[in-house]
Order: sequence, then structure tokens, then C-alpha cells
Amino acid sequence: MALLLRTFARQGVCLSKPQYSVLYRHAAPMGTTAKEEMNKFWAKNARLNRPMSPHITIYNWSVPMMMSITHRGTGVGLSGAISAFAVAALVLPGSYPHYLDLIHSLSIGPYLIGLAKFGIAFPVSYHTYNGIRHLYWDIGKGFKIPEVYRTGYTVIGLSIITSIAIAML
Amino acid sequence: MAALVRLSSVCRRGVKPLFYQSTLLARPLAVPHKYQEQPQLLTARIHSSQALYAGADSKAASLHWTAERVLSILLLAMGPVAYFSPGPVIDYSLAAALTLHGHWGIGQVLTDYVHGDAKIKLANAGLFLLSTVTFAGLCYFNYNDVGICKAVALLWSK
Repeated sequence: MALLLRTFARQGVCLSKPQYSVLYRHAAPMGTTAKEEMNKFWAKNARLNRPMSPHITIYNWSVPMMMSITHRGTGVGLSGAISAFAVAALVLPGSYPHYLDLIHSLSIGPYLIGLAKFGIAFPVSYHTYNGIRHLYWDIGKGFKIPEVYRTGYTVIGLSIITSIAIAML
Repeated sequence: MAALVRLSSVCRRGVKPLFYQSTLLARPLAVPHKYQEQPQLLTARIHSSQALYAGADSKAASLHWTAERVLSILLLAMGPVAYFSPGPVIDYSLAAALTLHGHWGIGQVLTDYVHGDAKIKLANAGLFLLSTVTFAGLCYFNYNDVGICKAVALLWSK
């Protein structure tokens, strides 16, 4: 069968014409899915106990790289904070205003409060603005390296300004 | 001649045959022009023949990707709404959108760093549990306490 197909191909017969599909109608595709290939690769690595090549320890860090991992870090952090808040809401006996008053009574100085507000506002701002940058990429725009850096610095700048402004509210 | 070249690329014999094909060497391919418009027939025939390739035609991953972006845009829109008209509707909407956005986000992180069938399954089960508890907690907070919008407002009034 394979020989027949190869002979045809060599002679210039186009096998994608419908009348030739009878030749491979029962052919089982030999390929594997990408997922299967990936799993096989990792299983083999784990089985042979292969060491991992140095990557983040040797590759020169760049602004886009740092912004990307920060986006992930803020995302995981914010998600964790929301989950912690939700669990606290379920587990703790008192109401929210009660705990807020508890914090008030600690008489924390205004600068520390401002810092805490900035600490909450910055991850939210950064993740939001960089998220918009991601959506911009998703519609296919802004991939040229100068554009990546320009939009990147814009996100950083806007995040800092917005966070300071919100922290001062 | 264009007909011959295009048909070769459709036949997927590779790029090399294209290079060797010149007007001098070309062997006549007795192909009526209308067959040029049906290149996808090759793939369709193999893939739809048996259930061997059950997942090959699935658009699940692609649809998931789109859903993630749609949710992100929705969540962006909820920000101003929460600020200018707080209330129970936006509180519950935020609870749902934030939980789902976080669930899908962490899901991508797990996909990137967790390998091995058993570990992947375990990690995703744990994530599902966490997201369920998170959503339950946020809804409980919305119902029995001041609600998300008011909570942020109160926190900032410090």
C-alpha cells in the first residue's frame, strides 16, 4: 500500500483528488496528539531522573520577562488573597465591620496605612493594566519589540501612578 | 502552470518537489481546475472515517481560550460599575467573575508547571475545591455581611 502510494506520488499523480481517497480510506493515522507527546516526554524525563538544564538561572533577564512573571505573580497572589478572604468569611465568627474596627483600634500611623493601601492597590492596578496589554496582544497587535517595550513601560508607569492615587483616596 | 504548482503544495509532498518543478520538467497533471478548490478533502476523509481520532476535531481548547478573554473583558467592565453603582447584583457578579477568572488563571499556571497524569489530576481537583470554597465564601459574605463593594469602600475609609 505504501509502495503503491509512493509510486503514484513519484509519477506526479495528485493523491488528494477525491477518486484516490479509496486508497487510504482505512489507513489509521500514525500521529499522536501534542498532549500525548508532551506526557511521554515528561514521563521519560522523570523515569530517567534527568536533570533540568539551567534556564532562568543563566538566561539574561529582560523587562518583558520580568513583567510577564510579575503578571503571573500578582495574579496568583490576588487569587490567593481572595480565597483567603472567602475562607475567613466562612470560618471567622465576627462580622466584617467588627474586624475592621479591630484593625482601626490598633492605631496604625497614616504612612503605614498609606503603604498598606499601596500594597493592595499596586497588584490590582498592575495586573489590570498588563491584562489589557495581554488582550491587545490577543487581537494580534503590538508584537514588534519596540512596541512590547513601549506598552510595557506604559503599564508600569500607569500602575505606579494609579496605585499612588488610589492609596491617597 | 500555477495550477500545477498549487496542486503540489496541496498534495503535501513537501517543498522540494516545488523547487524541481519548472515549466520544462513538468509532467502533465491531468487535473481539472475544479479540484483545486477542495484541498481540505484529504484531511476530512482521514479524520472523519473512524472514532480513532475522537479528539482531533474538538474545539474545546479553542473555545476555552475565547471564553477566558471574554470573561477578562467582562471583569474589566465590572470595575467601573462596582464603583459607580454598588449593590447586590454587582456583588454577586463580581464574586462569580473573580472566582472563575482566578480558577482559569491558576488552571493555566498548573498546566505550565505540573507534569504527570496523576499529579495533574490531583492539582486540578485541589484547585476545583479551592474555587468552590472561594465562591461559596464570597456569596456567604455577600448575603450575610456587607458585600464586596461595601467592604472595599469601608476598608478604604480607614
